[in-house]
Amino acid sequence: MTRTRSAHRKVLRFAIALIAGFSLALSSGCNKLHQVFSLSGPQSTMVTEGPVAKSQWDLFMVTVYVTTFIFIVVGAVLAYAQIKFRAKSDADEHAAVPAEAGHGNPFVEIGLIAGSVALLVIIAIPTLSGIWYTHDVPEAERGNAIDVTATGYQWWFKFDYNAEMMPLPGGGEAALVTGNELVVPAGTPVRVHLRTIDVIHSFWIPKLAGKVDMMPNRPNFVWFKADKPGYYYGQCAEYCGESHAIMRFRVIALSAADYVKWLANQKQPARTVTVQTAAADAALPHVQFASLTLNDGRAFGGSPGFDADPLTAWRKIQQPAASENASLIAAGRKLFKDKTCVSCHTIRGHDGAGIVGPDLTHIGARSSVAAGALENTPERLHQWIKDPEYFKPGNKMFHGFGGMQGYMKPDDKGGTVPNIVLNDQEIDALVAYLHSLK
Amino acid sequence: MAEALAKSEFTGTGHAPAKSFELFARPTAKTGLVGWLTTVDHKKIGMLYGGFAILFFLIGGLEALLIRTQLIVPNNRFISAQLYNELFTMHGTTMIFLAVMPLNAAFFNLLVPIQVGARDVAFPRLNAFSLWVWVAGATLLNVGWISHLVPSWNFGGAPDVGWFGYSPLTSKVFTPDLSTDFWVLGIQMLGLSSIVASLNFIVTIINMRAPGLTMMRLPVFTWMALVTSFLLILALPAIAIALVEVMFDRNFGTNFFEVSGGGQPILWQHLFWVFGHPEVYILILPPMGYVSEILPTFSRKPLFGYPIVIFSGVAIGFIGFGVWSHHMFTTGLGTVATAAFAIATMAIAVPTGVKIFNWIGTLWGGHIVTRVPMMFALGFIWMFMLGGFSGIMHAAAPADAQQQDSYFVIAHFHYVLIGGATFALLAAIHFWFPKFFGRMVPEFWGKVSFWLIFVGFNCTFFPMHFLGLNGMPRRTWIYDSNMGWNEGNLFATIGAYLLGLGIFTYFAVLVYSFFKGQKCGNDPWDARTLEWSIPSPPPEHNFAAIPQVHARDAWWYEKTHQEEIAKEKAANIKAEEAHGGIHIPDQSWYPIIAGMGLLFGTYNLAQLKHPVVMFGNQVLGSHAPLAIAGLSIVVLACYLWSLEGPGGYHIHLDADGNAKESGGYHH
Repeated sequence: MTRTRSAHRKVLRFAIALIAGFSLALSSGCNKLHQVFSLSGPQSTMVTEGPVAKSQWDLFMVTVYVTTFIFIVVGAVLAYAQIKFRAKSDADEHAAVPAEAGHGNPFVEIGLIAGSVALLVIIAIPTLSGIWYTHDVPEAERGNAIDVTATGYQWWFKFDYNAEMMPLPGGGEAALVTGNELVVPAGTPVRVHLRTIDVIHSFWIPKLAGKVDMMPNRPNFVWFKADKPGYYYGQCAEYCGESHAIMRFRVIALSAADYVKWLANQKQPARTVTVQTAAADAALPHVQFASLTLNDGRAFGGSPGFDADPLTAWRKIQQPAASENASLIAAGRKLFKDKTCVSCHTIRGHDGAGIVGPDLTHIGARSSVAAGALENTPERLHQWIKDPEYFKPGNKMFHGFGGMQGYMKPDDKGGTVPNIVLNDQEIDALVAYLHSLK
Repeated sequence: MAEALAKSEFTGTGHAPAKSFELFARPTAKTGLVGWLTTVDHKKIGMLYGGFAILFFLIGGLEALLIRTQLIVPNNRFISAQLYNELFTMHGTTMIFLAVMPLNAAFFNLLVPIQVGARDVAFPRLNAFSLWVWVAGATLLNVGWISHLVPSWNFGGAPDVGWFGYSPLTSKVFTPDLSTDFWVLGIQMLGLSSIVASLNFIVTIINMRAPGLTMMRLPVFTWMALVTSFLLILALPAIAIALVEVMFDRNFGTNFFEVSGGGQPILWQHLFWVFGHPEVYILILPPMGYVSEILPTFSRKPLFGYPIVIFSGVAIGFIGFGVWSHHMFTTGLGTVATAAFAIATMAIAVPTGVKIFNWIGTLWGGHIVTRVPMMFALGFIWMFMLGGFSGIMHAAAPADAQQQDSYFVIAHFHYVLIGGATFALLAAIHFWFPKFFGRMVPEFWGKVSFWLIFVGFNCTFFPMHFLGLNGMPRRTWIYDSNMGWNEGNLFATIGAYLLGLGIFTYFAVLVYSFFKGQKCGNDPWDARTLEWSIPSPPPEHNFAAIPQVHARDAWWYEKTHQEEIAKEKAANIKAEEAHGGIHIPDQSWYPIIAGMGLLFGTYNLAQLKHPVVMFGNQVLGSHAPLAIAGLSIVVLACYLWSLEGPGGYHIHLDADGNAKESGGYHH
């Protein structure tokens, strides 16, 4: 009997030590929880890079402290009761039952309710201030905030720079447009107006700000500020149909000077590579397709080198390639028109005024294609153009949309037949062309 | 006493009208297929609910295992995006509507009439109707799977719009195939079934309590059944209306949610969650009831703070209607609405906490016997507490903006729905199995399954908290290898296989026990409520004598006051015999005919504008005639059902309380 009791005490002591140790680790870890559990992925909500995400994480930690406190207290009592009041013998298991039901102790009940309410108030106060803080750019900073509009499409994001108006070829003007990569100045508040062209999407860059939905017929917005230049991963967070998982985007924060430079280049019409600007004796395109034959060669995501330092990779891709094959690029430009890519895409200054797909005026200077799914290397772009359905099932480029035909078109029997057919050489030319659009 | 009995509907005289119009002879088979299909006995209906629910629970579990297998490594191509979307849609829909809700319905049926000391529910045939409408809805929801096996049945696969069916994804523009139509009508029928059943249970609990069984003596489970039934009849109309609107948008050109016509998709979310949040309590309140029955039994102590446990249950029910928009914190509600719903959500944590305090109070000073049901019940308290904590974290709206639609939310609600609802249901199945099958479940294998489930469950879902905080969004078919999600997903999938093994063990042991389990008497657990006072399995008429209730734990009282109770029982049997014996209602064909008519009607209604094609030839231009035919069957069956009358016969008991003859005016 005494032996079992001391065994129980040991268990109890061990449990208390475990809980105490865990809470110690938690409190000493403070905001370093992500290091304890190595949770600093590109979309980690713990490694915050801006004031909005930081306020959200700080509030989260308040809830963690309060609930951990409750867990320790209630858990200890529960564990103690489970061990202490365990039936220890057969007679104990058949102990007589008290005659009348307990009504509880009113003082205990009221005390516990009051205690619970007090603990919830600790959470409620920062919650309320957080709701107002995260809602909109603080009054003091509103003057220098920039406004952009993000529009969700199945399954990619369009970004309009509302203040950067561009003349249209036929007169009038429209905002500067880019796709899937939002470039902003660091240290400047950004208000993103959220729109959708079709179903509900949600705009989420975990390191900068929590998500806000893109609701049809509802003018939502979200704000964030990047503390310093960086490359941030975002993703649609509301289920939006077949390829929801591959509706991703990036936010690239630059220093003020770099941002101005980037903006100036974006406002330029598409870059044209002529024989003069290209290296005269450029070798034939040096594109390796070896990885295509491997299964894992078609996996989503960036290369290890890219993932290690995406911002540097992004800066690198802003520069034109050392050697460019002008004739191949010209062939690609022609194919872009001939293969009807222009019906859905715009390359400002060159061809096309399509708005169904992303604006490709500066696609060569983006670090990802297929809505953040693939790194924008010649190999990956080739793979994407060759088989978009593999990477983004249900996409409009493959299936067509609203009467426009994609890679496939309907036949008379209710099935589909190929419509746009591209061989590897043609895709090489398209890749060379698109990559010249810096 | 005799007066009270005379007032009782089932023992009075002069009910049952003369024989009326009957198309089908009333079935009398007590066993076999006809016996089960036409039964109006609440115990048999409960077992049918339970059997179907366990089947769908296993199907939903299989869907979950396929999902976890797809996510075991990054960039996996095990299943396609489309199939993945169907799987998570049907996993959610199945587990909520086809597993946990009907398992609760099974226990309502099995236990409520006995716990209130009645011989059946208030409307036995309506009860059978609820069951068959539920079967119809469940079938319609799953009919799309057939497209994967028989491509010529082009339904577009199973529903793929998520269990929440957010508009405008459900618009014909974005999901033109039939799967969404089946989903809309399937959920609609499950709602109909639940409303009908709930009205039945409300009437049963309020009107058919045994003499002396005041509301504040009612077992906590029955109380929770009552609260849940009210939640159902108040919450389901909201989604019924929303589903009708979607159906009209898809088929008849209305613009409730059609954005191009000025529709407001946000309206769907409000209507859905006005149902959807009370639904959370519809799922969890009955499990709180099971736990409140099991903990006192195995602590050998009455429930601590009975009144406050009841009041907290009712309070949860009330506040549960005022917190729906916390599912919509990221939809741009604005500051004031967000603040109001955040505070209301924190408020609902208080009555939930109170329940946990009182369960601990029940253990305190008791003699805790750790049999398998008790282990699941204690597991429930721990796991539900963890789920509650992450729930409080969601109430902090700005923090929720990071967690919403991430794996953190998946971790949260699985702690509530597996660690909470399912643990309690597994406790309840193990606890009441001896009562309804007369055999015990082996303790050792029960414990093995408990530990497999407990460990597997935590391995699966605890890492998901961190996956969510590390930015993994839910409902994503594939993920990159550089996101820091690889280890968590691998661990979770291994946990899921372990959990699957535990669930398999649990039910395999039940099947074994059904055939080979050790036989048991009335009261193997030395329990407290009235169902343990009658034989295992209970006879058709439940009670030889309608019990007289003297205390909250009625059966514990009876066990300590045997002389007094024996005297009352003898008097009651005599009084009842004087009124013609025990009345048992007749079986009927009409509930199942109406239910199957509804299935045929809605199956065709879903395909309304599509031509009817048989063996490659177009037979009809549209499904409208077939839909009308099916719904006509329903109307006709209900009409004939009302002409048929309740019918019934009487059972007479000998001095020992055994049925010695059944007779009376049997048709």
